[in-house]
Amino acid sequence: MLLSAALIAHVVAIVIAVALVRRPAACRIATFGGAAFASALIIASAVQALASGGVDHRVLATHAATGFGLSLTIDGLAAWFLLIQGAVALPVAIYSIPYMRHAVPPARTPVVGIAFNVLLASVTLVLVSGEVVGFVFAWEVMSLATTALVASEHEHPANRRAAYLYLAMSHVGTGCVIAAFLTLASGAGSLAFSDMLTGHVVTGSTRTAVFVLFAVGFGVKAGLLPVHVWLPEAHPAAPSSISAFMSGVLVKTGIYGIVRFGVVGLGVPDPSWGLAFLLLGSLTAILGVLYALAQQDLKRLLAYSTIENAGIIVIGLGAAMMASSAGRPDLAAFGLTASLLHALNHAVFKGLLFLSAGSVVMATGSRDIESFGGLLRRMPWTGACFLVGALAISGIPPLNGFTSEWLTFQSLLLNFSSVPGLVRLNFPVGAALLALTSALAAACYVKAFGATFLAQPRSTAATQAHDAPWCMVMPQAALALACVGLGLFPGPALGALHRVVGALPGVAGASPVGAGAFTMTAGSPAIDVVRPLIVGLALLGALAVARALTWRGRSPVRRTATWGCGGALSAEAEYTGTAFSKPLIMIFGAVYRPTREVAALAHGSPYFPHAVRYRARIEPTFERFLYAPLTRTVLWLAERMKVLQAGSLHAYLAYILALGVGLLIWLGGTR
Amino acid sequence: MITDPVTATGFAVLQAAGLLAVAPLVRTSIAKMKARLQNRQGPPLLQGYRDLIKLLRKEVVRSETASWVYAAGPVVYFATAVTATTFVPVLVAAAPLEAAGGILVLVGTLALGRFALAAAALDTGSPFGGMGASREMTIAAIAEPALLLGLFAAALAAGSLNLGELVRTLLSRGQSYHPSELLSLAGLFIVLIAETGRIPVDNPATHLELTMIHEAMVLEYAGPDLALVEWASAVKELLFITLLIDLFVPIGIATVVTPGSIAVAAAAWMAKVFVVSVAVTLTESTNAKLRLFRVPELLAISLGLGFLALTFRFL
Repeated sequence: MLLSAALIAHVVAIVIAVALVRRPAACRIATFGGAAFASALIIASAVQALASGGVDHRVLATHAATGFGLSLTIDGLAAWFLLIQGAVALPVAIYSIPYMRHAVPPARTPVVGIAFNVLLASVTLVLVSGEVVGFVFAWEVMSLATTALVASEHEHPANRRAAYLYLAMSHVGTGCVIAAFLTLASGAGSLAFSDMLTGHVVTGSTRTAVFVLFAVGFGVKAGLLPVHVWLPEAHPAAPSSISAFMSGVLVKTGIYGIVRFGVVGLGVPDPSWGLAFLLLGSLTAILGVLYALAQQDLKRLLAYSTIENAGIIVIGLGAAMMASSAGRPDLAAFGLTASLLHALNHAVFKGLLFLSAGSVVMATGSRDIESFGGLLRRMPWTGACFLVGALAISGIPPLNGFTSEWLTFQSLLLNFSSVPGLVRLNFPVGAALLALTSALAAACYVKAFGATFLAQPRSTAATQAHDAPWCMVMPQAALALACVGLGLFPGPALGALHRVVGALPGVAGASPVGAGAFTMTAGSPAIDVVRPLIVGLALLGALAVARALTWRGRSPVRRTATWGCGGALSAEAEYTGTAFSKPLIMIFGAVYRPTREVAALAHGSPYFPHAVRYRARIEPTFERFLYAPLTRTVLWLAERMKVLQAGSLHAYLAYILALGVGLLIWLGGTR
Repeated sequence: MITDPVTATGFAVLQAAGLLAVAPLVRTSIAKMKARLQNRQGPPLLQGYRDLIKLLRKEVVRSETASWVYAAGPVVYFATAVTATTFVPVLVAAAPLEAAGGILVLVGTLALGRFALAAAALDTGSPFGGMGASREMTIAAIAEPALLLGLFAAALAAGSLNLGELVRTLLSRGQSYHPSELLSLAGLFIVLIAETGRIPVDNPATHLELTMIHEAMVLEYAGPDLALVEWASAVKELLFITLLIDLFVPIGIATVVTPGSIAVAAAAWMAKVFVVSVAVTLTESTNAKLRLFRVPELLAISLGLGFLALTFRFL
């Protein structure tokens, strides 16, 4: 079994790291090389499982008296997310071999390498666990390993705070998930998912409560509003290759949980769940991209854009649930296909963007977009790869982002044609919001790419930047190729998804996505057909014509200075990222609530300032109006409850006695 | 739908070439009509072609600080405008490459051109380019959902997002004169104004830094590069006009390919393009340019009209 081999590879890598703990270089190669090898095995096992289409179920151990057994199950859904994991982890691991030399102090390399291997193994276990205990254990290990990686540069207070925030939010999520699992398990009388997720274990308001718990619990990992706050803090704090893995895979484990347990695990969804998800997804997508636009920190920008994409995925899930509750499993399958494909696509292009951002950060020593500029000439390969990722994430054909956004659009519009009642007007509105999201994403990535890579450098560090070694460029190039390949040939991925979605409970049956090698069709009768390859060829043909029109043979292009209104133009005159996003910040002022402070700094007379200080910031709405009061309340409660924790052994024994007596009375009463 | 690749390619090339040939004339005639309304003589009708020929003959001059992105901008912009023409039916009730995609591919292709040109504008390091790019992307971000919502209202009524299929359904059903059509027409007309950079959203004739949007973005371009940008903008404008015609008054479009029917379709299309051009001219001549921060309000009206159209149609 390839999966076991991958897990063994992780263990071996960890053992070698412990043995070589005093030799950071060897340790780095062993841990990340081992992780790359294991990830290749994960891809192979995922492809094998997707190709066979069967369910591989293995019982590891059983306890005879209770009937409890630890088991692993690789079904289509697990295999699909294993594919996402492998597709991101392999390039990330290879990239990390040279990158980690610069990203973390040598003495800390073994710890980071070990934590990375533990993280990869735990994600795999989360995806294949067949029962609650293994799942929750792996889930918790995953959160802890991530915390360790986020805190890998814990000299900076901001990073420590980010790690703490991540840990706290993760545990709120885990708490919700465990509560939901326990409710289901007590209803089913078993801890195995096969018994818990039959769809009629819980009913009525309990079922809705369980759904909400799953949505909140897994929503924390997935980065949904309003429990997204850890994401823009933790992603910039972690080393960039780790951020790539977090954005590409870790966030998707939340989506995995929502799909497996919330969307298809609780029987036919209630109509209100789908509607709530549609609204939540739209809101998450819009606010995610709006906040992304306002960022000046490249990695924070990418982190907020991850929130946006999680929103797009959830829009598809909402549409799927509404179709399912309206008795249209075929359309539900369509929405799920759109979401799952977007999960893969986002993993690919966001992994790529974070790796490119990592190279930029390594070359300049800064994450501030305003101190970049002109990097395309100094880092041509990284710049080209980033451009491909930026185009893909903006949903531009014929790259892969367009494919899944097209599917999401179709899913919304098909629902509109088949769901009865006024509620269906939500679908075209959702589609318009999705269009707004993707247009804003294009603006956001024009800004990110333009301010980082184009024009002239705005700092000495950017002037002296040079491209990363081949070992770091190749993983990016591979991911960029994947963006193009998945965009031009969506057939194989859709074919695999056809089987994955077709095997899910509640939506079994024909998925309406036509999955020819070059064709995507929606609905029967089809309301739309796309052949991305023809679009690509038409573009190529038109490009050739345009090139021919401006072709000047061998006569050189005359180069001259950019017109500077009569003076010399310096890099300071460039339009910065802040300036670029200013109009949108003003238009969406109700969301941002921007404030600015302009002060003229003068020595003597205020009429002769020697400098002007300008500071603009946007209101951190969620942090200020939701989390600050919440934190205050929790601290206040903790202060009050401190009385209970008096440090006296007698008092503690008295609590236990009181609890015991109370339980006996309660149990006696229920008999 | 055309499935034979050779026929489709030939048709695509012919239609794209035709639109490329006519587009400068439409631009110039709008300028001419506008001038006449202001009691000016205006340019001769062939001025658009003369400008293009002159620009295409000039040497290529580019900024010394710019990278390949700057050189690629006009080429990609032109290519996307040309590619976009192949998804729209013009004279025949079928788009040449309608097998490749419908409304969403059309909008996505145009988005690619905009992305390329905006990135290129940032490349010279001139603040004008950045300002233009920022404003263009800002307006596009709000115009794109308005465009899609308007198109969805029309497409959902016909049951297809494919423009060829849509036109054929409209023809076989006949005009419905449903009030929602008027609403989405009004909404899409606003988008047409915004996307083609016309007053009251943008002014194609200005070179004053405070008022430029599209012109600021392409300010640094000269010679053949500028020719590509200008030509592509003209094609894009004609494309939007044709889109409006296809969705609301497709009558006259050829359903069978005979010389007679094509001639009738060409005459009808020309007449309808002229009518829309007059509407664009009148809008340009009777309105003042809006402040940049008032433009979103106009586009919000367009969004609202699109939503009302959907509501009326499907209530």
